Amino acid sequence: MEVERIKEIVASRLRNEGIEEWALVVERRRSSMIKIANNVVTVAQGWNAAWMELYAAKEKKIGYVGSMVSDEGSVSAALEKLLLSLKKSEPSPIYGPLPRAHGSPLSDLVDPRIVEEPNTVLEISSKIVDEAQRLGVDRIAGTIHFGYRERYAITSTGFEAVQPSTFIQVYVRAFRDENSGHWAWGSTRFDEDSLLSTVRKASEFATLKLPRQSIDPGEYQAILSPLVVANLVNNLAFMASGMMVLMGASMFVKHGIGSKPFSDNFTLIDAPLEKSLPHARGFDDEGAPCTNKPIIERGIVRNLLHNAKTANYFNSETTGNAGLVMPIPWNLIVESGSADLDSLVKDVRRGFLVLNNWYTRMQNWIEGTFSTVSRDALIYIENGEFKALSKQMRIADSFANIFSKIEALTRDSYDVWWWEVEIPTRAPYMLINSTKFTKPI
Amino acid sequence: MKAIDTALSKGATYAEARYHEINEFGIIVRNGGVIGVGGGLSKGIAIRVLYKGVLAFAATTDLSTEGVLRAVDEALSRARALSYTLLGKTPVERLSPAKIGRARYSNVVKKPLDSMDIDEKLRLLKELHASAKEGVKECKLATTAIEYTEQVERKIVVNSDGGYVDSEITRVATQCNLVLAHPQKGTANRFFGLGASSGLEVLKEWDLHARFREEAQALDNVLSRGIEPPKEPVPVVIGSEVVGLIVHESCGHPMEADRVWGREAAQAGESFVKTRGVKLGDRIGNELATVIDDPTIPNSFGFYLYDDECVTARPRYIYLKGVLNEFLHNRWSASIFNTESNAAARAKDFSSEPIPRMSTTYLEPGNQKFEELLEGIKLGVFVKSYMEWNIDDERWSQRYVGLEAYLIRNGELSEPVRNPVLEFTTPQFYSLIEAKDRDLKFYAAFCGKGEPGQAIPVWMGGPNVRLKSLFVGWR
Repeated sequence: MEVERIKEIVASRLRNEGIEEWALVVERRRSSMIKIANNVVTVAQGWNAAWMELYAAKEKKIGYVGSMVSDEGSVSAALEKLLLSLKKSEPSPIYGPLPRAHGSPLSDLVDPRIVEEPNTVLEISSKIVDEAQRLGVDRIAGTIHFGYRERYAITSTGFEAVQPSTFIQVYVRAFRDENSGHWAWGSTRFDEDSLLSTVRKASEFATLKLPRQSIDPGEYQAILSPLVVANLVNNLAFMASGMMVLMGASMFVKHGIGSKPFSDNFTLIDAPLEKSLPHARGFDDEGAPCTNKPIIERGIVRNLLHNAKTANYFNSETTGNAGLVMPIPWNLIVESGSADLDSLVKDVRRGFLVLNNWYTRMQNWIEGTFSTVSRDALIYIENGEFKALSKQMRIADSFANIFSKIEALTRDSYDVWWWEVEIPTRAPYMLINSTKFTKPI
Repeated sequence: MKAIDTALSKGATYAEARYHEINEFGIIVRNGGVIGVGGGLSKGIAIRVLYKGVLAFAATTDLSTEGVLRAVDEALSRARALSYTLLGKTPVERLSPAKIGRARYSNVVKKPLDSMDIDEKLRLLKELHASAKEGVKECKLATTAIEYTEQVERKIVVNSDGGYVDSEITRVATQCNLVLAHPQKGTANRFFGLGASSGLEVLKEWDLHARFREEAQALDNVLSRGIEPPKEPVPVVIGSEVVGLIVHESCGHPMEADRVWGREAAQAGESFVKTRGVKLGDRIGNELATVIDDPTIPNSFGFYLYDDECVTARPRYIYLKGVLNEFLHNRWSASIFNTESNAAARAKDFSSEPIPRMSTTYLEPGNQKFEELLEGIKLGVFVKSYMEWNIDDERWSQRYVGLEAYLIRNGELSEPVRNPVLEFTTPQFYSLIEAKDRDLKFYAAFCGKGEPGQAIPVWMGGPNVRLKSLFVGWR
């Protein structure tokens, strides 16, 4: 169904109901995914989907509906749902008018190879397995996901634009004997070398020749790999959403704008204008311009992420991060440092290199206390040298504690995007002076 | 049926079509104010084919005949392309045999979703902030946040093995967050969810006013007066909420057959069954360790009578008296393990493939009273609820941090304990169970798995459980 027709139906119906303020988002997406496990393809998946989101406000009452779009009937059904919500709702404490400043689409976000030659991308899956076997791993598992999307935003303030873009996400887990390694990559553009580098890095860690050793829980130095840094800053950036703060699910309830809970070495940027990262865009779902801005700058909280509504509640301005309901981060960049990985390792007297993690869960959102479990290679380091591989310890700490103890960061950064890193993130290796590692005793 | 016939005529050995619609209504309320009211409609068709050993899936929102047949062609085209490569050689040439059903069913809804006006629902949710306030004495109630959802899920699944199942499940759910602050002791969060396959009659059963008052009261008590747990190993009584989570994480997940084979290795991980060479029939705990997964429990959040491959549902005894008894299978994994599917195939929505999932997973209850679990404990800890938890990706080493918790002194509950940490391995937990009470309770959650991620409704449950002495950490 044509977007123009959806717009006509929406605008006409809302006008008839006397609703002057609305924002419509329509996304059309075609994408493919190959899942590999035990060196074979376990499923080839594909999607051809169109959906819409519609926000409307009347007398400060807020209504929202999201719906798949199959035909005019589905658009009308969504509209009726929205109208009922608006009719029955009450003035919202977060109501704020839609922004008047408008963004424009970014150019060059579409890689024609992803659109026109999907089979070339699919054929890479064979190369990934071949490369892993050449590098001496027993087996790999992983995912290649790529596609083309068009995201339209149309608002009652006169904004109308479409942001086309392509994306590719690749992550690989390599196994050899008891050991495993993992790496991930995401981009708007297909790049065979970057894609194959995921299997090379994963294999490099899976084939480390180190003895296995059980290490006691306690306080240790830690080198967090870009995968781990990306996972942690994803959690942090979600907490920077104005809606999360409002709902009492954020450490930024306690650490407001201008406070300095973290080290000078820590700068975290929301980067929608970074064209190589998969969630790049020029405007948000309310039509506001997207900008790169620090969430954290040299340890200081600089920005929460807002749409017009949360901005209004916090007496601030939209940051171009709408989500019609929930402000969200787009792409993240952790500012890199000047070290190399070898020098970070040399600086560790007693500690770990943590390659990967998952299952990050909060004990207390306001205090930012959490734990997360390591997976894949967990390398024990003593006096600046890799000594042994350990297993499945967890980091149990707080965000304030970990990111206030950053000793150094590598110069090189990596673009990470995978199952446990929902927001594409460019991150370096990070040396933490001290954090708590636990395990069952 | 045209989609199925087309797929078969073009060489598929199995074909399946699922019309899947989820109609939702929701309200978000914060501190007694209505943030917004809204809804969603997810509707589309999923096609799955097996072609020369390659499983392919296509989903579309284009519901026209041409749109659906295009999805069939796309699935076949991907399968065909991969079937020519060694990479496409999966171990599954045909799906396993199974008890395939033809049926139409829905859950029992005594009080339809529209039997209560939206105004009335808003009033109820707005009042809960005041209810929570009633429970607070020494702290300040900083935030109550409530997300209320109603959902009707309609599915029609048809497959080339004669399956035809048309189902409609109505669900009600709430997710709640409470934040309390104390001038000297800091803050505490309590996040909890309620959910059931039910009409609005469940609201009376939940008694949300009382629940908010009691949750706030317990949080107030633990934040203002909570102390450290004992430093030496002590007997621990674990509340049913935590027990339900433990069995979900350390029994249900590692016994999903696709995970055991390695299909989720790069995402949610593998299973100790694979990585540690354990097999069905091996012992994981003592005689008290029986864990059941049962999709057929009336009102359960993950209720179904036929799975998304039209296989007839039944209770699965995953661990039976401490022994690994049965994996959770869909027909693909059952084929690999040379067995029959036990109807664990579930898909979140039309854009998701059906994979082995839990439904309601619970530890079989005992026959004692709660007070009897405490009897004889001179010094111990009772952990009633939790916030932080996680488990490693082979489902072996796990951690649960208590929220509402108490010391046990001389067989009775005593002072509140703040943030006690339980950290053990799967066999440690199932071997430490010493006694169980008869009070079986269930708790709602959304369980995550798959790629793209599929968060599906489940219940997790069990009785209160006494464990032999173990070390309790402190956060």
